[in-house]
Amino acid sequence: MKISAKNQYLWIGALFIAFAAVPVFIHNNYYITILNQMVINMIVVFGLNFITGLTGQMNLGTAGIYAIGAYTSALLSRNLGISPWLTMMAAIFAGFLLGRGLGYPSLKMKGVYLSLTTLAFSEIVRIFATNLIDITGGTQGLNNIPRFGIGPFMLDSNVKYFYFILLIAVIMCVLSIRIVHSKWGREFRAVKDNPDAIESLGLDIKKIKIRAFTLAAMYGAFGGALYAHFNGYITSLSFTTDLSINYVIILMVGGIGNILGNMIGSIVVTLLPELLRFLGDYYQITYCTLVLISALFLPNGLVSLYGKITGLMKSKSTSEGGES
Amino acid sequence: MEHTEVVLEVRNLVKRFEGLVAVDQLNFKVRKGRIHALIGPNGAGKTTTVNMITGDNPQTEGDVLFYGKSISKLPVYARANLGIGRTFQNIKLFSTMTVLENLLIGGQSKTTKSLLKYLANPRIAQKEEQQLKEKAEGILNFIGMYQYKDELVSNLAYGRQKMTELGRTLMGDPRLILLDEPAAGLNPSERKEFIDIIQKVFDQGVDMFLIEHNMDVVMNLSHDITVLNFGCKIAEGAPKEILENEEVISAYLGEGYRKQMKKEAEQNA
Amino acid sequence: MSGIIVQLIISGIAMGFIYALVGIEYTLIWNASGVLNFSHDKLITLGAYIFGGTYILGMNMGFIPGIILSIITVAVMGIIIAKVIFIPLRNLTMIYTIMATVMLGKIIVEAIRLYWGPVPFSVPDFLVGTVKFNNIVISIANIAIIITASICVCALQLFLYKTKPGKAMRCVAQNRNASQLMGIDVKTVMVITIIISMIICCLIGILVSPLLNISTTMSNMIGLKGFAAGVIGGFGYLPGAIIGGLVIGIVENMASMIFPSVYKDIAAFVLLIAFLLVRPKGITGKTR
Repeated sequence: MKISAKNQYLWIGALFIAFAAVPVFIHNNYYITILNQMVINMIVVFGLNFITGLTGQMNLGTAGIYAIGAYTSALLSRNLGISPWLTMMAAIFAGFLLGRGLGYPSLKMKGVYLSLTTLAFSEIVRIFATNLIDITGGTQGLNNIPRFGIGPFMLDSNVKYFYFILLIAVIMCVLSIRIVHSKWGREFRAVKDNPDAIESLGLDIKKIKIRAFTLAAMYGAFGGALYAHFNGYITSLSFTTDLSINYVIILMVGGIGNILGNMIGSIVVTLLPELLRFLGDYYQITYCTLVLISALFLPNGLVSLYGKITGLMKSKSTSEGGES
Repeated sequence: MEHTEVVLEVRNLVKRFEGLVAVDQLNFKVRKGRIHALIGPNGAGKTTTVNMITGDNPQTEGDVLFYGKSISKLPVYARANLGIGRTFQNIKLFSTMTVLENLLIGGQSKTTKSLLKYLANPRIAQKEEQQLKEKAEGILNFIGMYQYKDELVSNLAYGRQKMTELGRTLMGDPRLILLDEPAAGLNPSERKEFIDIIQKVFDQGVDMFLIEHNMDVVMNLSHDITVLNFGCKIAEGAPKEILENEEVISAYLGEGYRKQMKKEAEQNA
Repeated sequence: MSGIIVQLIISGIAMGFIYALVGIEYTLIWNASGVLNFSHDKLITLGAYIFGGTYILGMNMGFIPGIILSIITVAVMGIIIAKVIFIPLRNLTMIYTIMATVMLGKIIVEAIRLYWGPVPFSVPDFLVGTVKFNNIVISIANIAIIITASICVCALQLFLYKTKPGKAMRCVAQNRNASQLMGIDVKTVMVITIIISMIICCLIGILVSPLLNISTTMSNMIGLKGFAAGVIGGFGYLPGAIIGGLVIGIVENMASMIFPSVYKDIAAFVLLIAFLLVRPKGITGKTR
């Protein structure tokens, strides 16, 4: 049992409305910060979904992409005084160049090359960010990254900023849905389904994969820029391989290739550290074991549970109906 | 036969795998308006030859020409875009998609709208998608698959899957279709249906090149036959000539086959 | 001046052998099971902790018995990891195999942190000191690395070409399905492969412990550069991994003469991407 497309969009809409309602009930600034991070994660994972979810190519370099987006927008707006609106566009463009530049060598051959080059790329970015102290501030970080406003309306509180990125997330989500249901989305899914057949149909498989990766890089860099302006402070210590892995975990826990799954994954994985805090020292090991188990036994993620549960309920109700 | 245009020509084609010669100095021509079959025992190099023509596994030496132009250096997708379609020995469909979606992918290399334009104005691309859909439905009608269009291909019977694959190939408007063992795995009624469709496609002006084990299929369909053994061409000609060729009988068909053929000939008489 | 260059080359070769061993260790598993083992750097760390933390510092053993017991310990762990993780993984798609091994690595690190504590330490008096030839100074650790790695490579060659399980491993590497049809027990071959791979990891961990402090992050870079070594030499091809490893070791040491040494670690990754652009099949031109 799969969720029908229509049902899925109802759920997505419902989730966004629920998100919008949260600040009405919760005023704790700490939770609002988590909420912001959750929505930023969602945007990044909508992108990762193209390359890792739909085309099935492992991208372990999201941290590097995110960092490039964050540093591009932060440095341009902070040091040169350019409007953050423009610098965020620059971050997205940096993501585009990155997707093309890194995608070409990694994806022209079949195999695991993308996971290795993205991992290596992430390390290169991290090493430069750590050591080019004059520019990036290194591990000490870069502060005073400006917030910005929409006309006269300044996004100066976390709640206001939250509504702004929620709106962005809705836009990115709609774009994602549109792409998934277009011929481009079909190509992405086809690559994962049966890569051997694609070329015989006159389609260049490299181009398809590079396109998916470029989309992922653009979303990822945008997410990084949003993060930089939200936090007002970035340090190279945040952009580790663990961050990249965390994004793949979000994708996997929610449900690979499924936009509703991306949202559920972002919510669950961002909240999990808070929920499992009581485990103390044993938190990490429990968390990793849970993810390992879900990789082995729930490969289609939490969204696949929905289908299973409704399936069970249906069979139950029909069997009850049979008895009466 | 000598007068019609040459669609596909292979010249001195050689394929070596780490010292092992799989295909050696192969030459043949596929002509317009004729169905050409490549036969031979297992391991004779038939699929290797098809993979050299499509570019999936390019030649070590030699040349492949399509309508007189060398294509042996082109990547797979470029050859497909020139009009060489193919089906696979073990069906290669997009198994998580419906029949219609499989066909749409087959046709979308011909679509032109860019992703950026689509995101800016979805209407243009939707129109293109609609045209693609209409074309796919036309082809599904043509191959008798219309009622299955919204089924997941993984839920279909083997014969239907094979038909879907042919339909997907047709979406690319091929001028030549390479059929890798079209009858393999089909039961007799499916086989008959499949042959009828192939004939129907051929009658529309699409040339065919096929690899096949089933001699009934080969004899029914093909106009020209090339016989391979151990990577070398041992015979070429019309079906009748091939059946009487001593070398072909000893290498491939076997004595039993000759007796059976004789019996059938007597019965028919 | 030339003395310094020779010294740099020799320490480059020593590190190169480490990367080569890393390349071999994951290529073996890749060939046997089609799983790219992203937990390999953590297995190296684990080897170092078992040797240094438990047998040497914990039990005050001699170095030789410590090494032997460490090898036996990881071999037993190898059987468990093979049966619990790698054998169930072999039929899953790449994303799941990668994530499962990544998670395995994180679990190992957490287990190390909980069991041995978070404070880095070193093994006193293990492979310290230098040897002097004319004006060239070479550390004993580097000599030990070069000798041990060479012995490892030769022993592995003998095992692969002269013994029955070794030949079975080569068959499985060529074609897993065909091997199964020919009556080779693929699961047993995978267990053997993973044990060998774990032993190599453990040896790497022991060999680098004089160069780096023993800590949970000690082998992160080594692990990544080992991947780069595989690609540069020719992915999935054992001799390629050795050549790739040596190239990276030497190039990064030479690069540290020109660039600030903090950027030394980048050399391997730049080489990796450059090779993919120019010569994706690696130096040897053979991949699987």
